[in-house]
Amino acid sequence: MSNLSKYQTGKIPTWCSGCGNFLLISGLQKCFADQNIDTENIVAVYDIGCAGNMADFIHAYGLHTLHGRVVPVAMGVKLYNPKLTVLCIGGDGGIYGEGLNHLITAARANIDLKVFVSNNFLYSLTTGQTSPTTPYQAKTKSTPQGSPLIPLRAIELIKKVNPKVFAKTATNQKPKELFAKIKQAMEFKGFALLDIETECVAFGKQLKQ
Amino acid sequence: MKGKVTTIKIVGPAGLGIKTSGLLLSHILLEQGYSVHDYSEYPSLIRGGHNTYQLSFSSTEVKAPFYQVNLLFSLAKNHFQPHLAEMKSKSLIFSDEQNPKVKYLPLEKLAKKAGNPVFKNTICLGVAVFLLDLNYSKSQKTLKNFFPKKVKENLKAFQLGYEYASKNYSSLKLKIDRLKNKKGLTFNDGNEAFGWGFLKGRGDFYAAYPMTPSTGTLHFLAAKAKEYKINVRHAEDEIGVANMAAGAAFAGARSAVGTSGGGFALMSECISFCGITEIGMVFYLVQRVGPATGMPTWTAQGDLLFYVFSGHGEFPKIVLAPGDQEESFEFGWKALNLAENLQTPIIVISDKFLGESSKTTPDFNQEKPTINRGKLLDKKIFKGFARYETKYACGRSYRTIPGVKGGEFLANSYEHDKQGFSTEDPQKATQMMEKRMRKLKTALRITPKPQLYGPKNYQRLIISWGSTKGPILEAMKLAGDQKLAFLQIRTLWPLHSEVKKLINQAKKIIIIENNQTSQLTTLLKAQFDFKPTKKILKFNGRPFFPEELYEQFK
Repeated sequence: MSNLSKYQTGKIPTWCSGCGNFLLISGLQKCFADQNIDTENIVAVYDIGCAGNMADFIHAYGLHTLHGRVVPVAMGVKLYNPKLTVLCIGGDGGIYGEGLNHLITAARANIDLKVFVSNNFLYSLTTGQTSPTTPYQAKTKSTPQGSPLIPLRAIELIKKVNPKVFAKTATNQKPKELFAKIKQAMEFKGFALLDIETECVAFGKQLKQ
Repeated sequence: MKGKVTTIKIVGPAGLGIKTSGLLLSHILLEQGYSVHDYSEYPSLIRGGHNTYQLSFSSTEVKAPFYQVNLLFSLAKNHFQPHLAEMKSKSLIFSDEQNPKVKYLPLEKLAKKAGNPVFKNTICLGVAVFLLDLNYSKSQKTLKNFFPKKVKENLKAFQLGYEYASKNYSSLKLKIDRLKNKKGLTFNDGNEAFGWGFLKGRGDFYAAYPMTPSTGTLHFLAAKAKEYKINVRHAEDEIGVANMAAGAAFAGARSAVGTSGGGFALMSECISFCGITEIGMVFYLVQRVGPATGMPTWTAQGDLLFYVFSGHGEFPKIVLAPGDQEESFEFGWKALNLAENLQTPIIVISDKFLGESSKTTPDFNQEKPTINRGKLLDKKIFKGFARYETKYACGRSYRTIPGVKGGEFLANSYEHDKQGFSTEDPQKATQMMEKRMRKLKTALRITPKPQLYGPKNYQRLIISWGSTKGPILEAMKLAGDQKLAFLQIRTLWPLHSEVKKLINQAKKIIIIENNQTSQLTTLLKAQFDFKPTKKILKFNGRPFFPEELYEQFK
């Protein structure tokens, strides 16, 4: 596995044990190794949130941006230097909420970015409030009476915006399939969005009530 | 008289080609060797309303448009009325109406004769060229180059205007400075000048979202993008604009964005991001009248404190204010150098008056500015490289760009250690805050110094910044006061110590600003003990004119 280690910083991840982000980082590092991409040619752009905290754990060029702003920052990198492999990593809050306009724009441009959304249906780093994907009427800390909004179906939306882009859903429940889809997204020529459904081990229980 | 300034104004509702014909007249004068400064007023709409274009010209350099008008052309009835105060006793008004205040000019009839009622503006040009006794065939040539389409019709209208004037106004010819064999001059507004500075300073990534009065730079650079092989991007909103430009700068671009106050409000989280990640990029901010949507097409200097103190948290930021079109060019390329050299956000402040007014300038296309990329390692690293190394006294550490082997690092919006990894360690946080802020001291060595105009043994000192420079210098010429000097503060943050020194030498201090609260006074007071004797403030959307400042200097 020495091939994998060159994509690791040596920092111990700060996620809860059993967090879905462990699978995402392994899938990404495996994919870098399989495709033999040099670390200096990878630019990983991270949102604010638990998924974005991956910034400290992947060895490559990285930008840990402001909340919601991964996509435009990544677009700037890619537009300026198209030879680079440019990824966006974030959660449903940042990428579908604060940054939705940017996501739609990148899909319209079909720019060669790989966007990985660790979708746990909640804002979790802020201890569990309703997010754009939270189910209708679900009770969360910010919606104790139930979420008043119907959830955003991001994959359907992006497919409508531009049918030519890669837009797929995966789940942490099926790691093998998840790894295959990460690979597909990385190999896709053009804009790719992979929505990874995952359960927050710390705050996800409230969604089941 | 050498240096005599003549002012011509064309007015009427939007959609009659007022700016086009005004610009054409400016070019006719430029190509016959005159120095020109123009100024145009227009409401935020496409048809109707009341638009004006005025130009002041002379055989010597004109640094500002003048208030008093010698010739006024009104393209529609009654549109001359708001301008009566600008007329002197010998000034002439031309309009297609019977009124004792105007010289009757049958625009409708002559335009019909030329083939189209839209040629009223070109008829006025023919009249102006006759009254100014300019070279007819040279003027014709300029017109041909200016209107590649509809050349014939425009030439006809021009001729009809000229002939009508020679028959009816031969006694009204103006006395202007005559020039001998002077070669043609170039003409740029502030937004184009900044654009030239960006291109000549090897800027290669420019993003913007249309916002008056900054859009001129976006149009200028978008039109040049292919030729210069640069990225010019109109993004989804100003948040996208700033973050995209930051990403490009991280990847190695010499990067800039352009907007006005409202757009910059959306960018202010990103300027903070650039501060902590030490991403150097340029924010070109062309002020208009606020608050909120305000008066979009009018000028103001109301955003000074907002810009200087923009962004949450504490980080070094450089704020430059060019005073004229030449400095808009110069600060355009210098800002790119400073951004890479200091690895921090650089703001260049302009405003509607400077950004959208054109002036005779050197040919910027011939300029070859020095390029400075600072501590950039774009090929390989040295042993022990750490992107955010804190040991340097100047605050600047070496940086790499993606593609450089061994130079991988994290540009982190969280507080971080030397490698860029997040940290909340109190000692590391203090070191990193201090490292960044030391760049402000370094900036004092390399940013544009304040400029003193007038006698060194002054008693009265005018202090101002930005676009008021031209009107102030012209007003000083009118005043001819041997004890009156002008201090132009060109770097508003950080402030050079010379500012205090020069202010302390004055007996009386006059502050001039296009804002209500004298924001420069507030800024200076925060630095040292200081009390202006007089504040000349204007905040109605209009720039200062030399004559009104001259009155105040008496």
